[in-house]
Amino acid sequence: MNASTTSNPGFSGYFPTWCPGCGNFGIWAALKTAFSKLGYNPESFAIVYGIGCSGNMNDFLWVNSFHALHGRSLPNAIGIKIANRDLPVIVIAGDGDCYGEGGNHLIHAARGNHDITVIIHDNRVYGLTTGQVAPTAIKGFKAKSTPSGIIEVEINPVALSVSQGATFVAQGFSGDINHLVDLIVMAVEHRGFSLVNVFQPCVTFNHKTTYQWYRERIYKLSNDNHDPSDITKALNKSLELEGKIPLGVIYKNERPIYTDSLIQLKDQPLIEAKLDIDLSSFMAEFI
Amino acid sequence: MTTGLFLGKIATRSGYHAFEYSEYPSLIRGGHNIIEVRISDEKVFSQEKKVDVLVCLNEETYILHKEEVKENGMVVIDQEKIDMTKYRNLVKKFTYVNLPFNKIIKDNGLATVMINNIALGALTYLLGAEISILKSLISEQFARKGEEIINKNIKGVQLGYESVKKSNSDGYHIKIPKTKEVIPQMYISGNEIIGLGSVAAGCKFYAAYPMTPSSALLHYLASKGEKAGMVVKHAEDEISVINMALGASWAGVRSMVGTSGGGFALMVESVSLAGITETPIVVIMGQRPGPATGMPTWTEQGDLLFVLHAGHGEFPKILLAPGDIEEAFKLTIEAFNLADIYQTPVILLGDKYLQEGHQSIEYSRIKNYEFKIDRGKLLKREELDKIKDYKRYLITDDGISPRALPGMKGSLHQVNSYEHIEDGHTTEDAQQRSKQVDKRNRKTETFLKNHTRLPVLYGDKTAPLTIISWGSMKGPVLQAMKEWNGKFNLLHFTYIWPLPQKELTEMLKGLNKTLLIENNSTAQLGQLLKMVTGIELENNKLLKYSGRPIYPEEVLEKVKEMKI
Repeated sequence: MNASTTSNPGFSGYFPTWCPGCGNFGIWAALKTAFSKLGYNPESFAIVYGIGCSGNMNDFLWVNSFHALHGRSLPNAIGIKIANRDLPVIVIAGDGDCYGEGGNHLIHAARGNHDITVIIHDNRVYGLTTGQVAPTAIKGFKAKSTPSGIIEVEINPVALSVSQGATFVAQGFSGDINHLVDLIVMAVEHRGFSLVNVFQPCVTFNHKTTYQWYRERIYKLSNDNHDPSDITKALNKSLELEGKIPLGVIYKNERPIYTDSLIQLKDQPLIEAKLDIDLSSFMAEFI
Repeated sequence: MTTGLFLGKIATRSGYHAFEYSEYPSLIRGGHNIIEVRISDEKVFSQEKKVDVLVCLNEETYILHKEEVKENGMVVIDQEKIDMTKYRNLVKKFTYVNLPFNKIIKDNGLATVMINNIALGALTYLLGAEISILKSLISEQFARKGEEIINKNIKGVQLGYESVKKSNSDGYHIKIPKTKEVIPQMYISGNEIIGLGSVAAGCKFYAAYPMTPSSALLHYLASKGEKAGMVVKHAEDEISVINMALGASWAGVRSMVGTSGGGFALMVESVSLAGITETPIVVIMGQRPGPATGMPTWTEQGDLLFVLHAGHGEFPKILLAPGDIEEAFKLTIEAFNLADIYQTPVILLGDKYLQEGHQSIEYSRIKNYEFKIDRGKLLKREELDKIKDYKRYLITDDGISPRALPGMKGSLHQVNSYEHIEDGHTTEDAQQRSKQVDKRNRKTETFLKNHTRLPVLYGDKTAPLTIISWGSMKGPVLQAMKEWNGKFNLLHFTYIWPLPQKELTEMLKGLNKTLLIENNSTAQLGQLLKMVTGIELENNKLLKYSGRPIYPEEVLEKVKEMKI
């Protein structure tokens, strides 16, 4: 690995070790562009990475970051946000990490409308562990752990997060970087729990859902063909899984974020709260 | 439960010491519940087998506990409802006091729950305590519920008081009149004082998933969170609990989690994460009998070695085990300092016995306890400004690297669950790996140099026998010592890990005969001490793992058996 770390606002870390042609490159490029558009510098926000090919981006972006355990990036991100509500927090994780190992956390993070942005690299396969099925693998997909084809149907991350209370859910494609940049910027700017499910071909282990496969199916949502504020319409769109696949903002709504309800944070972020407290008033009830 | 609390507070507000032990089954309501309150003009360290006064709210209590009443003891029971003639041949030299709960409730149109107040009123009379103390306790407890509720409760108390005054005007032969000078005391549970300690230590984030015996800590902190400026989060599972806390800690706030063995088992992977990312965290690990769901509402010290070894890979970890509520307060505060200083997990081993029981403690001992909040090498703004190229995992002599917080200018770094180089980037380089392992391990050496505390010896130094124990079993041994001072002393461990090999070996070698006392079946402290010192301590041991704590009587019996 060639160390060429800099702390310039270009966010560049090591050169990626992903396979040539990997969809991660597109997401990486989109993220860096989005951060610039958002006016971020590497110290002004935090990224929590999951474990997987996508999580390896921790070394390819140079940003204040927490490289978590597999599946656990969401609770880390929630804790960071509660501790420092002023710090933008972004999660970068894969489909296996967020929809498999950490699936329970996704449900509850959405319910809480925690003000974090989750960018999921959805390649429908486990890359880093050399090609087993992901929860997003299409039924019947043959892989090392399911040689006769996966029996389960694929998870529906958009329907799941919309139904569990996420307030911004979008779908992007690593083969369309400009569109993805806009989605990431909107997701980060959204006040509340935002999830961008990014379709990403795995050129090494998934020969079914290729760039070509997606290009034949994707179409873009716009004001003309979709109203993202309507949850029923959003859920209908979420059911378009294999025939036509919608890209864009599927659902967007407003409700108070988790930290809005914490009066402990009314006057200052938690990290600035004074530590020494007069214990007398806490002790009185025990006398 | 409030009944036991009130009785304890009647004692402390009258100038006495008190200790509470409770037993209840893992049911929402009902089942057989007991609360034992010991009151003394000397410090009370534990429960005992024999009781002075047995108050039976039902017949089952009498059947189950009559053998525990002392000779010349007293049994308070509703003889109008319960036919006591069938027990006539069992009657020892007890005084029976008829307290017709059921009739009193019926005649006065009271709610059934008033049975507790009737009992408290009766006890107040029988023990010669001042009823005004009980009345003010009720007024304070129900202050928010209004006059009507307060008056109803006081009526129950008054009826119980008057009833036994009529039937048994002499009362019990030992009384607790209010003393001339009452020194203010707190009567507080282990969970509450750990909560108080965390507030004092500046903990600002507590996450938990309910689990006995640590649920009451969650309840306490949740009720005080807004006042203490602490965010208290009941998360979806224990994995989320510890990871939220690690996130909050990385961002800069003192963070704590609380659980029991099963929940801690779920947290273990992230204890390891705290180790490699060098993120401070305090874990309150309330032991209860396992394996698996075990006996949820009972007590055991069965998780010492599990917790000691928790977390894959090698990383420093600090284990503390308070012996009583005063130590629980102080060690909670210290746990936060140690977590910040060593940037590693600090685990406080409690148990049901310590965390759910109430103990009296002089108010001033807590109020005047002096401590410093020490955040270790957490960099202040001006300190970070002086660092040109900040490295989160800088190799240092003491193994501890300066810590900057995300969001600070000049803080650019990553914390990494993968092995990493000094700036946090992932590495698989052999040399870099070894350097970081060595760096982390040096924290243990630094701890041993700067923070080691050897076990404390209680009692007569020249005694022919030394009892070795740890954590909450301190109480029963000290209580036993009151009976038999001079025969044995107690070497008590609160600092469980890391242990200083040389000093400890010397200390153990200097002992006469030893007796290991633990509330588990495999002598886990004994195993640990053997591992560290090579000294076999398991020749004489008293182990109990029935879900009940060790009683002072059992300590004395064992000592007697050893024919010292």
